[in-house]
Amino acid sequence: MTPLVEVKDLSVRFDGTPSVYAVNDVSFTLAQGEVLGILGESGSGKSVTLKTLLRLLPERRARVTGEVKVNGSDVLGLTGRALADHRGGVVSMIFQDPALALDPVYTIGRQIAETVVRHDGVSMREGKARALEMLELVRIPSAKRRLAAYPHEMSGGMRQRAMIALALSCRPKLLLADEPTTALDATVQIQVLLLLRELQRELGMGVIFVTHDIGVAVEVSDKLAVMYAGSFVEAGSVAEVIGDARHPYSKGLLAANLVGAEPGATLEAIPGAPPALHAPPVGCAFAPRCPIATKACEAGPLPVWRTSEARWARCVAACAASAPESCQTAAE
Amino acid sequence: MSAVLSAHNLVKHFPLGGWGKARRVVRAVDDVSFEVPAGETLGVVGESGCGKSTTARLLVQLLAPTSGAVRFEGRVVGPEVPLKELRRHVQMVFQDSYASLNPRMTLQQAIAFGPMVHGVSETEAQRTAMTLLERVGLDPSRFGQRYPHEVSGGQRQRVNIARALAFEPKVIVLDEAVSALDKSVEAQVLNLLMDLKRERGLTYVFISHDLNVVRHISDRVMVMYLGEVAEIGPVREIYAEPRHPYTSALLAAMPSLDPSRRTEEPPLLGDPPNPINPPAGCRFHTRCAHAMDICSARRPGDLAVGSRHLAACHLNDLAEKETAA
Repeated sequence: MTPLVEVKDLSVRFDGTPSVYAVNDVSFTLAQGEVLGILGESGSGKSVTLKTLLRLLPERRARVTGEVKVNGSDVLGLTGRALADHRGGVVSMIFQDPALALDPVYTIGRQIAETVVRHDGVSMREGKARALEMLELVRIPSAKRRLAAYPHEMSGGMRQRAMIALALSCRPKLLLADEPTTALDATVQIQVLLLLRELQRELGMGVIFVTHDIGVAVEVSDKLAVMYAGSFVEAGSVAEVIGDARHPYSKGLLAANLVGAEPGATLEAIPGAPPALHAPPVGCAFAPRCPIATKACEAGPLPVWRTSEARWARCVAACAASAPESCQTAAE
Repeated sequence: MSAVLSAHNLVKHFPLGGWGKARRVVRAVDDVSFEVPAGETLGVVGESGCGKSTTARLLVQLLAPTSGAVRFEGRVVGPEVPLKELRRHVQMVFQDSYASLNPRMTLQQAIAFGPMVHGVSETEAQRTAMTLLERVGLDPSRFGQRYPHEVSGGQRQRVNIARALAFEPKVIVLDEAVSALDKSVEAQVLNLLMDLKRERGLTYVFISHDLNVVRHISDRVMVMYLGEVAEIGPVREIYAEPRHPYTSALLAAMPSLDPSRRTEEPPLLGDPPNPINPPAGCRFHTRCAHAMDICSARRPGDLAVGSRHLAACHLNDLAEKETAA
């Protein structure tokens, strides 16, 4: 079976003075009905990676190279109507701030109906009926009344539900979620997370979920990828990455999230700050902050520790610590 | 233990306009009392709009309370402790590290400015600023002459902490001071805060929505809901055995970090009600799974449920009566 998403050697560079190498050689696959969590700090390139899947980056300034296939079609080659069909029909996205993502001058019902009319070619009346169905699906209370509500008339949690309804209204095969719960309060965040998880199962869609919060990633994902300075540094199932992190950055991130930390004790903080991405990375981008970096880390190409297709870490130390047969040098 | 800072029936209402009967107010903080003993860290948690930040601003007198009083070392702030004196002893660090620094002052000037206003000579103030920059982990020769936009968020927040330390204050109020930072940088700043506290015997009021961070850094925790204190007590007790249903729900809403034990049911439904027109009685009763008739009728008082552990919930009166009977 061909995977739903196939990304190969994706790189994104933003031209300008100076240029920014936002994403560097990212490859991953996602099967139908799977949830991939991408974990990373601000500026690590996680949102840029998502936006390439929808071709939302500014065409003139962003140099995108590599291969991006979603549902069999080559996303980077899409133009015109095919691209418009792709956006919202095959792939759709939910954003961190629903107040910015929704149109303030149209009612929620109208916005959802419009999308349905465009993609499914049905009448406005049928579109409205679908909108009501969707609002009920995301469990907005008194959905019928809310169809006529404008975004500013709803609370943050409700707006986020409305955006999920909008994104799912055309039954996309792939949902991209860019920190959708970060702006929400704790008690509302967990409601939205559980709703997303349930809808994902019910509709059997693939989801790529970007977050900086390990807890949130654990709640929703099947697979997890850790991103640093524009590259994936480690990937595996959630249990593997959380329980047995191999890359020093993943380990540091877990410690910084106070996983199993003794209250009041000094935290094993990662020193320094993430690098500015003004040059293409040579060797390991994490080496300057890494407590166990060696000469080999700075030079590259880096070896990859790998136990299966989906479970790997790009780290010299992870390789050195395990049997040589689980290690590949980049040349192979 | 004596309280270095205490709040006595603090109330802050923000008017929304309107006249006479139509006059509406946001009840941001409604009758809040608590004490911060010297040398302790009080964590304050709650959802947005629960009055955490307003409480912080009332404590340092950036806002004047509608009624109630703040006491510093037992003396009432205002009549007995002039503002200028209070500022020397109680300092604040804000969430937005950029907005809280003057963009036209170098980092060193920003730290030296406060003491100079209070009559410290310029050379002395500059020297202190250099030492403080060094102490928060920024090389003074490299960073002293830079402007706020030239350094990263984590570095700026270190400068804000250094600036708060310039008066050698007794208390620092930290309002979401690490929330805007990336996780790896947040851990560094938390370490710095814990070291400084040990070194200088500081007292912190640490406001955050991140329950993990609050557990890590606090001695006691205060849980707020819609402008009121739901529960306050020692951190271990509150996290192990919360005595207010809202505290339990808040703790249960923390994402699980164990993939084999994911959260299955949301602990609370709906959004927090509006503080303009909060529910009568116990403000939490509209979302509470244990709500009884009395909850909508009468506001629960702060009931001692342990040593220095108070909870405002009618469930605890019941338990009390049962043990009495």
